[in-house]
Amino acid sequence: MLRPSCGAEFIFFLEEKTMKEQLEQIRAAAKSALNHAGIEQEIEDLRVKYLGKKGELTAILKQMGSLSAEERPAMGQLVNDAKQELEALIATRKKDLKAAATELKLKAERIDITLPAKMRKQGHLHPLTGVTNDMIDIFRSMGFDVVDGPEVETDHYNFECLNVPADHPARDMQDTFYLAENLLLRTQTSAAQIRTMETRKPPIRVVCPGRVFRADEVDATHSPVFHQMEGLVVDKGITMCDLKGVLEQFAHEIYGPETKVKFRPSFFPFTEPSVEVDVTCSECGGSGCRICKGSGWIEILGAGMVHPRVLESCGIDPTVYSGFAFGIGLDRLTTTRHKISDIRSLFENDQRFLEQF
Amino acid sequence: MKISLNHLKNYVNVTVPVEELCDRMVMAGFEVESIEKQGENLVNVVAARILSLTPHEDSDHLQICQMDVGADAPVQIVTGAQNIHVGDLVPAALHNSTLPNGAHIKAGKLRGVDSNGMLCSGGELCLTEDDYEGASVNGILILKDEWPTGTDMREVLGLDDYIIDFKITANRPDCNCFLGVAKEVSVVLGTEFKAPDPTYQTVGGDIADYIDVTVENADLCPRYLGRIVKNLRIKPSPDWMQKALIASGMRPINNIVDITNFVMLETGQPMHAFNYNDLSDKRIIVRNAVAGETITTLDGKEYALTPDMLVIADGKKPSCLAGIMGGKESEIEDTTTDLFLESAKFRRDNIRHTGRALGIRTEASGRFERGTDICNVEYAMNRALSLIDQLDAGDIIDGALDRHNGLPEDRILTVSSQSILDLLGVEIPEETMVDILNRLALETTAKDGVLTVRVPSIRDDVEGRADLAEEVMRIYGYDHIVGTPMRGEVIRGTVLPERAKADKIKALLCGMGADEIMTYSFIASRAIDTLLLPEDDARRNQIKILNPLGDEYSTLRTQLTTSLLTVLSTNLNRKITDGRFFELSKRFVPESLPLTAQPKELPTLSIGIYGKEEDFFTLKGMVEAVMQLCGAHTQYERSNEPYLHPGRQALVKANNQVSAVFGEVHPTVAAAYDIPERVYVAEIQLEVLYAIEKRRVTAKPLPKFPAVERDFAMLCDLEVPVGNLERAIQSGAGRLLEKIQLFDVYTGSQIPEGKKSVAYSIWLRSADGTLSDEQIDAVSAKIMKNLEKAGAELRK
Repeated sequence: MLRPSCGAEFIFFLEEKTMKEQLEQIRAAAKSALNHAGIEQEIEDLRVKYLGKKGELTAILKQMGSLSAEERPAMGQLVNDAKQELEALIATRKKDLKAAATELKLKAERIDITLPAKMRKQGHLHPLTGVTNDMIDIFRSMGFDVVDGPEVETDHYNFECLNVPADHPARDMQDTFYLAENLLLRTQTSAAQIRTMETRKPPIRVVCPGRVFRADEVDATHSPVFHQMEGLVVDKGITMCDLKGVLEQFAHEIYGPETKVKFRPSFFPFTEPSVEVDVTCSECGGSGCRICKGSGWIEILGAGMVHPRVLESCGIDPTVYSGFAFGIGLDRLTTTRHKISDIRSLFENDQRFLEQF
Repeated sequence: MKISLNHLKNYVNVTVPVEELCDRMVMAGFEVESIEKQGENLVNVVAARILSLTPHEDSDHLQICQMDVGADAPVQIVTGAQNIHVGDLVPAALHNSTLPNGAHIKAGKLRGVDSNGMLCSGGELCLTEDDYEGASVNGILILKDEWPTGTDMREVLGLDDYIIDFKITANRPDCNCFLGVAKEVSVVLGTEFKAPDPTYQTVGGDIADYIDVTVENADLCPRYLGRIVKNLRIKPSPDWMQKALIASGMRPINNIVDITNFVMLETGQPMHAFNYNDLSDKRIIVRNAVAGETITTLDGKEYALTPDMLVIADGKKPSCLAGIMGGKESEIEDTTTDLFLESAKFRRDNIRHTGRALGIRTEASGRFERGTDICNVEYAMNRALSLIDQLDAGDIIDGALDRHNGLPEDRILTVSSQSILDLLGVEIPEETMVDILNRLALETTAKDGVLTVRVPSIRDDVEGRADLAEEVMRIYGYDHIVGTPMRGEVIRGTVLPERAKADKIKALLCGMGADEIMTYSFIASRAIDTLLLPEDDARRNQIKILNPLGDEYSTLRTQLTTSLLTVLSTNLNRKITDGRFFELSKRFVPESLPLTAQPKELPTLSIGIYGKEEDFFTLKGMVEAVMQLCGAHTQYERSNEPYLHPGRQALVKANNQVSAVFGEVHPTVAAAYDIPERVYVAEIQLEVLYAIEKRRVTAKPLPKFPAVERDFAMLCDLEVPVGNLERAIQSGAGRLLEKIQLFDVYTGSQIPEGKKSVAYSIWLRSADGTLSDEQIDAVSAKIMKNLEKAGAELRK
């Protein structure tokens, strides 16, 4: 190495050269160190080492005072360039290392996604509630209001007004629980028909879901407590075709759009004409199976045109108004829908049963 | 109404197979309960003659028979029977045969000897003495020697018939008989109907010389017709009549009794035969029973009569329970020589009432209850007399005693044909309607769009346009009804607010993991005792069902808890380790007992939980959630329900009204339900919650200024409820209180005996500005003062 001995010019040259060299050296060393750094903290340490207050590049800047005024801008430019270059490199390297570290961390955090879900156990509506709610929805969409009636009824509302006078043989159709001479547990939601017609003027369009009672011994298909939904429409010009139309829409929504509806003549004291209503078996589609006992049809409800005497007893003129009524057994609908073989399971309330719905 | 198809063919041409007949009758309103093919389970059993009998070498009772079964070669059958002889004609079940009892017979060996079938007893063929004479003999059934060997036993027994069971609806009592069904069949098939000719020969004399008939209560007996038959020749009735009776479920007895029963089945009019010689004073009086009178009926039972019951009495005493059952004393027996025959109309409600009161129901009373035709009384009598004449069962005396106050005229209905179509919504030509009604014996003419219909008394169910619409439609065919979509203004229907609230409560509880249950509305009368309620507790005022299905279902419930406990017990005892259940139902609260008016039916919610995650406070959380959903401000107080743990129960006031009780079930009560662990139940009176008007929410702006958090730690006596401390803080902090949170309750080391340490965090915030130190200090001072008043000592 050449050792400076004398001469200002020479010394200046030497010093200038040295500064520049030094700068280059620092820059190269810093870049190399930054590029080799493996963790974010190392980068930070290098930033302090080169760009910090006592950093090497800062030290170069401090030596600038020894330069001539002419030389200073050029040298300053060089130092600033180096500084910017290093700052940019630091930022990039920091970002890269952060990303790499995140990637590593995420990789380590990989889990077995087939482990069980952490969820709060949900409760379940009773299947009868589910069916009732569906029915309410269907009939509300057709403009039926949902009404309720008392479960303890008078003989008047449960029988007399429905064209079943005392000692009439039609009373044998339903075994009634009596509470007092004229008080009983309603045997049909039809009682709510009368209460509705007494309080509303036509046009009337209501359904009444509710609990009814008959003195049937408990077995797989009978329960002394069961549920019905009564429907009633009264207006001018209501016909049996309207009845069929409403029941068809109901059947399509409950059993599917291919379902057919069939009327069979029958008898109820409070409707005339009266029909039993069958739908094509939802299990076999009408070709005959075990569920429909080979007939292709299942009986789902009773219906008919409101008996003129019933209209009269509610103060509605049967020569002006006509109407239809229907009564659907909800328990039967529930057991057929869910293929429940024993109606008793609806009232047993075993959790393993209830949780299925 | 069971009827033999072969017998039906005596009245009407049946031109279609039995299945089609039934299908078409169903579509005309006559539901078919069953079609029973006679002899369906009797296959490959034939009449066979015994050619030879040899004893079995290895047995002291078996015999080897060579049988002529109508085939080329004899068939060898081994039997154990002893009542048979060479030459007897007997039923032989051949290889691969089936018996009515379900047995399947195959060839085999009996003690080493081939046996290619089995000889049958009457019992093995499911026959009784009524079906075939000698059927009850212990041994092989010996057949009458009138069949060639090899004849199928179905033919021998006359089992080539179908028994059809029609369900007759309550409005068609006229079809509870062969003729009624036959008329409908003739309309449905469009074939001819033939009513039997009821003519007969008499032997002279005058009934007035034999008997006098007085009807004292013409209201209950609008018509009474009597005849006398002398010189009875009692014997079995002919085969065809016996078969018809058996097919319809009646037992043949003798020709006279069988004729009365047969005429009832054929015409729908019950008949009664009295032993003439047993009638005192030769009088028949139709009257109400006198208090204290009794009668012993044909079945040998004695009944005490009341004055509302109608009897047929002779000069001294009741001889027959009118329309229900005859008396033992005037019964027709084999030795009876003279007969008084009755055909009458009794009022149906009275027959029903008497039948119920005495607990008797007979074929006759069933028909009177449903209603008989006053004009049919005479036809039935004539038919019975014609059968007596035909069967040579006795000598018919001239003259009839027919008591009535005039017979009804046919009713004339005039109805516009359009009004009928308006009800149905279908187009049917007027001529078609007229034709259908005429075929149904409702004589109809049409003029200017108005139908004039003559309705005979037998069809008193036909009253007006709706009935005519049904008659026309069921024959025209319901398949013509084509559905029309709902017309008119269609807007979504409404639901009652209570139902909407109930649905929300159910959804909330399901979200909290509870399953909805449904239990019966009635419980055992003694179930309420399991709750250990005091004698004067209002819940003991339960409504009893007068005619329950046993005690288990005898009482309307005033609470839901007993049903809930049963469900908890069921699940626990089925090893289900934890559960949350709820039920929304009604409790029945009478105004007074005995019941004179409809009780209050109050909506009630029960919740029951158990399992290792559950305690008083998880239940409290569910109760509070329901309360909040309904917009209630709650207050919890100690309660003292005897069925709950005395230290772990509370009542809930919702807006200052008691609305719920909940807690841990008392171990004594749990034990009564076979519940081995801690369970928690709540009963919530929803009528209180439903009455709360939930205010519409007005949104508050989000806070602009910071909140200040302060902690308060204190010591107090163990008995002091933390609720009191909470209220003290709330009232001290006033409007500035944003949130209060209990974060520690501690007893143990460093806490003096009988004390507990309680710590709260509270957050204070003002909507008007940042709270100053002075404001905070002032509030803290107030809180501390209140806490000290509540019995707490602040820990610094």
